[in-house]
Amino acid sequence: MEFLALLSPEFFLLSAAGCLIGIIFGAIPGMTATMAVAVCLPLTYSLGLHEGLALLLGLYVGGISGGLVPAILLNIPGTPSSITTTFDGHPMAKAGEPEKALKICIVASLVGGLFSAVVLFFFAPMLADFAIKFSYIEKFLIIFFALTVIASLSKNILAGIFSGLLGVLLALIGTYDTSNGGNGEYRLMFDFMVPYLETGFSLLPVLIGLFGLATIFEEAEKGIKEEDTHSQIKLKGHKPFHFGVFKGQISNLIRSSSIGTFVGMLPGIGGSAASVLAYSQQKNLSKNPEKMGKGAAEGMVASESANNALTGGALIPLLSLGIPGDSTTAVLIGAFTLQGLQVGPLFIGEHMDTWYSMMAALLFANFVMFGAMFFAIRYIAKVVMVPKYILYPIIIMMCVIGAYAINYGIMFDVWTLLIFGLFGWLAGKIGIEVAPLVIGFILGGSAEVYFVKSIESYGTLSIFFTKSPIAVVLWLLILASVVFSILMHRKNKRLANQVEEANA
Amino acid sequence: MSQSLSSLFEVSIDFDQSHLFFPTIVITLIALMALWIVAANAKQWVARVRSGELRLSPFNEHADKFRFFGTLVLVIVYFWSMDAVGQLFPNTGMGFLLTSIPFMLLLSLLYVHGITSRVLLGIGLNSIIAPVAAWYLLGQLFAISLP
Repeated sequence: MEFLALLSPEFFLLSAAGCLIGIIFGAIPGMTATMAVAVCLPLTYSLGLHEGLALLLGLYVGGISGGLVPAILLNIPGTPSSITTTFDGHPMAKAGEPEKALKICIVASLVGGLFSAVVLFFFAPMLADFAIKFSYIEKFLIIFFALTVIASLSKNILAGIFSGLLGVLLALIGTYDTSNGGNGEYRLMFDFMVPYLETGFSLLPVLIGLFGLATIFEEAEKGIKEEDTHSQIKLKGHKPFHFGVFKGQISNLIRSSSIGTFVGMLPGIGGSAASVLAYSQQKNLSKNPEKMGKGAAEGMVASESANNALTGGALIPLLSLGIPGDSTTAVLIGAFTLQGLQVGPLFIGEHMDTWYSMMAALLFANFVMFGAMFFAIRYIAKVVMVPKYILYPIIIMMCVIGAYAINYGIMFDVWTLLIFGLFGWLAGKIGIEVAPLVIGFILGGSAEVYFVKSIESYGTLSIFFTKSPIAVVLWLLILASVVFSILMHRKNKRLANQVEEANA
Repeated sequence: MSQSLSSLFEVSIDFDQSHLFFPTIVITLIALMALWIVAANAKQWVARVRSGELRLSPFNEHADKFRFFGTLVLVIVYFWSMDAVGQLFPNTGMGFLLTSIPFMLLLSLLYVHGITSRVLLGIGLNSIIAPVAAWYLLGQLFAISLP
């Protein structure tokens, strides 16, 4: 129980502050939890590991939850994962019950967050224990599996695979590091780039560029339109909320939280997939499916419990395998690296205190989120009105600090921010998917070491199939994900054709 | 038979060239994927471009190019000047502070719709207070490196 000594007042204060800042980010449309974590990273540079993680986990939980506020009051999802909250939340608010809608969502968020934290607590150490036995071959296959899963669940499979591979290629730029058994030669760049890219692109400037600056470019292109806050539904004098609305919703809560946790575990799949899946599942099983989309509590419960359950789920592969479950946890990897820690199968066993303090921070952040939003929702609702012309310059400034300070003052990291900010803006337009790209970028370097070293040791490719029963199981999983994606693709195509024919 | 099959899988990597082994595989796969994507979609793309549904320009139809390019130019000048000014006052964070104030002011003015004196006051205060607060809190108190 040595970790209890780590739980200082400062620890809880930072977790709470992170949660509040996260809620604000989440509540402002166009700003996401990932952006909150990326932009606030510099605040953790001078903090210790545990305090830094408390702040970042608070931001994560707050950022995912905050999105429900504009979803209900303005019919605009504050974060992509609250898209399904608009379906029922806004109609209920318009029907004169905004406070009830908000509070249903807040309670569902808390349940989802806590459920996934419990799953994380029991499941991550088990998975890590299992993964400790992995050799380079199984580790390579795990990365390969992660990339096939991302690709198979992408909007477009081919584009998903292409984006993932592009991410891997970006990770290979620089020196083939001798500390990993490489030969110390440069590759994938011209001679004049050597002084800047000797060690390749730094992870965090790339992520801050893709999730921070790229969003600003997108918004600038749209003309920085302020949301029409005059249409925001006011919260005064409406019917109060009672917990009675949750009667009969227990199975919905558990099912949706499970879906959210599971989707969170799949690498590169964002919160919107979690909430959409939980929402459609609830619609399929509902006794009154016709009411969903018109202000049904069950729709909000499904959506919000699923997207908050994503938080714990996405941390499972991160802490047990070193593979981020979504883009926010990808930024968290950067925070670990910054503190000189490597996440992977050994992490939990070797850093028990950190693991317990992370769990404490996650649970605490969920309760702070609940307390702040449940009791101060009237004030939080006003946050949506902070004008973008004030916010965006602050965000760019914070992005610059984050990028510049990450390697203790490298100006090229700031330019990396611009390169990837523009790249992120363009990527969406030409069909490149950012989530697979980021996961490929994070895992690319390890994939190379595991792959090349395995071949150097065994001299044959067949070892990837014959090394161990686990390798065979992993190949079966890879095959299953490919078959699943082809079947899904065909089904979607058939549905699209049917719709087309029906319209014709 | 089985021996010839297993020899098919045999690979030896020349250590001097080992830095190119994996990148070559990845580039080959990317090229194959690109060809596949083009082959699968070329017809549809041509048809959509001809019908005007698909635009070749990277910008949306009603893109606000003034604000977009304004942002780009301001960001480039900001990054460049921050380094230049920072070298005049090394290790003080002044490069950051002295360039952030005008950058934030200009960017806010670029983004705002409908200027009133109240809005202008808000922008002015924000573009002074935010950089000074960041410089003091992060640079001075927390000793984070700033340009």
